[in-house]
Amino acid sequence: MPEDRDYAVVGKNERKVDGVGLVTGRPKFVADLVLPETLHVKILGSPLAHARIVDIDVSEAEAMEGVVCVLTHTNTPPTRHTTAGQGYPEPSPYDARMFDPKLRFVGDRVAAVAAETESIANEALKRIRVEYDELPTVLSIDEAIRDGAPVVHDEKDSTGIYDAAKNTVADVDIDVGDVAVGFEASDVVVETTCETQYAQHTPIEPHVVLAYLDSDERLVLRTSTQVPFHVRRIVAQTLGLPLRRIRVIKPRIGGGFGTKQEVLLEDIAGLVTLRTGRPALMALTRAEEFIAARTRHPMRVRVKLGAKSDGTLHAIEMEALSNTGAYGAHGLTVLANTGSKTLPLYNKAPNAHFFGQAVYTNLPVPGAYRGYGATQGYFPLETAMDELAERLSVDPIELRLKNHIRVGETSPIFEKLGEGREGVSQTVKSCELARCIELGAERIGWAEKRGKRRPDGPWVHGVGMSIMMQGSGIPEIDMAAATIKMNEDGSFNLLIGATDIGTGSDTILAQMAAEVLGVPLDRMIVTSSDTDITPFDVGAYASSTTYVSGTAVVDAAKKVRAQILEVAGPLLDADPGELSLENAAVVAPDGSHVGLDRVCQRAMYEAGQFQIGATASFVPSESPPPFLANFVELAVDTETGRVKLLHYVSAVDCGVAIHPKLAEGQMEGSIANGIGYALTEEMLISSRGRVRNPSFFDYKIPGALDLPPIDVILVDSFEPTGPMGAKSVGEIGINGPIPTIANAIYDAVGVRLRETPFTPERVLAAIRAA
Amino acid sequence: MMITVSINGASKRWSIRTGETLLSVLRREGYLSVKCGCGTGDCGACTVLYNGRAVNSCLLLAAKADGAEVRTVEGLAAGDRLHPIQEAFIDEGAVQCGYCTPGAVLSAFDLLSRNPSPTEGEIREALSGNLCRCTGYVKQVRAVQAAAERMRSDGDA
Amino acid sequence: MHHQMESIERPTSLQGAWDRKAEGKEAVRFLGGGIDLQLYSPATVRTLVDLSGLGLAFIQREEGLVLGATTTMTEAIESDEVGEYADGFLREILRQVASPLQRNLATFGGTLGSAHPWSDVIPAFLVLDAELTLFRGSEETVRVEEYYAQREAYAGGLITKVRLPALPGNGRCAFETFTRTAFDVAMLNVACCGAIADGRWEDVRIAVGGTPALATRLRSVETGLVGAEVTETSLGEASAACSEAIEARDDLRATGAYRRTLARQLVHRALLDVAGLKKGDGA
Repeated sequence: MPEDRDYAVVGKNERKVDGVGLVTGRPKFVADLVLPETLHVKILGSPLAHARIVDIDVSEAEAMEGVVCVLTHTNTPPTRHTTAGQGYPEPSPYDARMFDPKLRFVGDRVAAVAAETESIANEALKRIRVEYDELPTVLSIDEAIRDGAPVVHDEKDSTGIYDAAKNTVADVDIDVGDVAVGFEASDVVVETTCETQYAQHTPIEPHVVLAYLDSDERLVLRTSTQVPFHVRRIVAQTLGLPLRRIRVIKPRIGGGFGTKQEVLLEDIAGLVTLRTGRPALMALTRAEEFIAARTRHPMRVRVKLGAKSDGTLHAIEMEALSNTGAYGAHGLTVLANTGSKTLPLYNKAPNAHFFGQAVYTNLPVPGAYRGYGATQGYFPLETAMDELAERLSVDPIELRLKNHIRVGETSPIFEKLGEGREGVSQTVKSCELARCIELGAERIGWAEKRGKRRPDGPWVHGVGMSIMMQGSGIPEIDMAAATIKMNEDGSFNLLIGATDIGTGSDTILAQMAAEVLGVPLDRMIVTSSDTDITPFDVGAYASSTTYVSGTAVVDAAKKVRAQILEVAGPLLDADPGELSLENAAVVAPDGSHVGLDRVCQRAMYEAGQFQIGATASFVPSESPPPFLANFVELAVDTETGRVKLLHYVSAVDCGVAIHPKLAEGQMEGSIANGIGYALTEEMLISSRGRVRNPSFFDYKIPGALDLPPIDVILVDSFEPTGPMGAKSVGEIGINGPIPTIANAIYDAVGVRLRETPFTPERVLAAIRAA
Repeated sequence: MMITVSINGASKRWSIRTGETLLSVLRREGYLSVKCGCGTGDCGACTVLYNGRAVNSCLLLAAKADGAEVRTVEGLAAGDRLHPIQEAFIDEGAVQCGYCTPGAVLSAFDLLSRNPSPTEGEIREALSGNLCRCTGYVKQVRAVQAAAERMRSDGDA
Repeated sequence: MHHQMESIERPTSLQGAWDRKAEGKEAVRFLGGGIDLQLYSPATVRTLVDLSGLGLAFIQREEGLVLGATTTMTEAIESDEVGEYADGFLREILRQVASPLQRNLATFGGTLGSAHPWSDVIPAFLVLDAELTLFRGSEETVRVEEYYAQREAYAGGLITKVRLPALPGNGRCAFETFTRTAFDVAMLNVACCGAIADGRWEDVRIAVGGTPALATRLRSVETGLVGAEVTETSLGEASAACSEAIEARDDLRATGAYRRTLARQLVHRALLDVAGLKKGDGA
């Protein structure tokens, strides 16, 4: 049961610490720092999906007035690395070079020009003469794994590829029990295969970096990133520079969602600055953001479920084939997550098998994207559960309630399947999923609406549901640290590596510290994501910030609290062990108190002087899952196939919500993104591997008129291992829309869709085929 | 060529290229709240008020701003008193990464200057040219509703 | 930024504007809102002729409606005249074109001149039998349908206004469009006007656009319907005939086959709407 919590700051909708600056348009983003002598850097992208550079002549470009520097594979470090922003040693292959004489997708980097203005740089790109030797391509998973297929990575110096000759980046195969036996022993078996499409994160701010030398000749990278510390390390590696010569600063950034968990521009901009001594600004255009940043992994995932006639799952098999594009960044880990964040949800099945491969193609490069494989896995899993419910003649809700993991339980999958290697065993300590289902079903009107197929002209109404879990960080791998130091007015500097990408982590981490220190939020001064000043944090991914960074912050705050109480003891003539912190003061049992400013003055100037402050680090030993139940009411136009969402309800258990509106905001945004992924978003790729719709004009994300009322219910919960009882919530919402909508479409018109997005054309074709 | 623009109430003379967009000029002249998200009028991050109307500054020729009144969010607050729309965006949790926020605030300003009691549908319509990937628009809509209510009771325009 | 643009002129007379264009040909372009200039203008344009000083921003009630060429869509939407015209038919179409940000700049002259094949406004003008006036040294008035049928003949002319005739008392109009999201261009659109007397079609006009070609009137279907009884059968047949009659092709937004399906459904709905028989909207 959730404990009694009487928080002063946590759980309140405090004003975001960066809010005022953002609504007044203060210059807080990367490109808002304008330095004199800045060079503009532009990339020449490959026009071919697979080719070798036979010859590259940049002399005409270099000779242009205003062109200062041209980079190609002939004059840049050849160091193989991964662009994936992951902890070292990264579980992604070292298969990328800054500039490679071989090009592997349309848009792959051929050269870079640094010039006085953007237009000169763009003009210079046209003057670069390249002779290509065009190679045969592989443009789908099936083509890539065929015998004798062209090899995307045939170079000798790449490492970490499972089987390059077969275009296989990663291969995963884990099992529990014996599914073959399990299916035999099952009374009902269902099987479904689903395919998901190329989709892009479309942060409203494209990737951008400003590189410059500070007054001590150190390379500063002011960059729009989710992973400042990984950027520093990987750029040091790529450029062959000592890490101590690099400083990475993440200012405010305009969204990430995973595409900025990648080192795409910083090494190039950094090299331009090192070679020219001048600042270098490099930004992707919107078209380049689609073509040459990162995308979702398109996947084909098959799920087979076997159950006993009483509805208990007896065997689960999931097979995933993932298209990891031209480079293997995140290929293994997204593949593994497809199983590790889905199968444990239904831990009752004694037999489980997850296997699959991530394969190279000559196509745009997928990377990290909110949900990270779970999104693709829940599509077949939750639609198969619905099919199973139908075969068993039970309500889909009943089938979920019967089979989902509960408090005190574990799943062997936790241990067998982690981030690309073995995982970590854990027991679930908080799970309000049943309550999520109950509240969500009531809010959508499940009982009244399910199975009714209410007609309305050509429209038919239906409702659908799904449940899911995610994680809170990567156990035994992620590390976060926080430093807190006190100032003599009773305020504190909170220095955190944790990366606020719009999520509000600066605010919620400050709330947690303020709670422990007994002060209002405005006593916390937050500095984050500066590799010179803030301690280490892996960055914003894997839903780690609230749980992992939060615990480090709480631990640091507790150490500081202990120091404060020690100093205050003599001031109040009391035993530090009996003192408490409240309202920016130290309070004794008899009610006497002393302000924090007084305490710090004493420590700073008067007696036994020392800087009140502490650093704490945290590596989680588990990854407590948030849980989610999704419900949607929609209507299908049986004459055109249009799907219109009428009401979307998400009931989520994320432990204690440190800041309810920010937690809701994470849910609302990820749901909206998931709805686009389910209904309208699709990167269309030509037969020559070119992205045909790299613009908002033809790649449609939801706008304010495209979404139904979205109801987020934060279900009361408490995670005992979490800071203040919290779990993370950044990703889980995006997994809901696809299966929930698919299940609702079935309720409405009796057809099962297995390919996203559910465009009107696809839906109509399915209705007509039925 | 030279243009004269009233920017946030102050008259300025700027040197511009003929074919330049107002977005490019505004950023060069230091109005960094105006963002570039796409350059093709599809995302609305570049929204400014042009003679009181919210427009994509990436589509507006700077030359057309000659003699016009232009407003950005830098000109909305009165000293350190935020405009009710700005306050509401913060209070309702409508600001996440903040990149689309200036544009959305100005579209809301345009709406409320003409329609002090908009329906939810009218609010969504007014925001329909401002894409946001963080919020799902839920709290942006609430913020505009809250701002409208506050402005009606304050008698603000 | 368009680097090749050298100058902007702001003439004060139609003659002055036209002379400039006639003299400069491809190097000169008329400037209204400027949206299409930013997005689609050819590299040959050196001089812009700004039309804002020519007094072409007006809306008049005049046996129907007259819209000046530099009137913006927003000005039209907010005007009483447009609100009252044909029961708000044009206003409702304008309200869903692009985004409000673009509507604040987009002009009728620009819309007619650019003639984007996905245009929602042009099919409406076609079924209203609109006429546009253009200036090439002198004023000429031509039916919008004729203007598009003979584009070459009218190329370069400065559009000054468009006139929408008044509808007869029993006239009704309907519009259907189909997009991926709200802020999107049509993968197909249908505009329809009709008048029914004694249960029969007295007059009916149907235009289908975005096929992906520019909208055209489907005259053969119209002729077939005039005089026929307003029944489910005749509506169904007419819709099917429209579906066959259009030139439907694949593009990024939809396949030709799906467009034919849509044409049938949307024409059917538009005709039902005109006949006052429209069904539910899934709300």
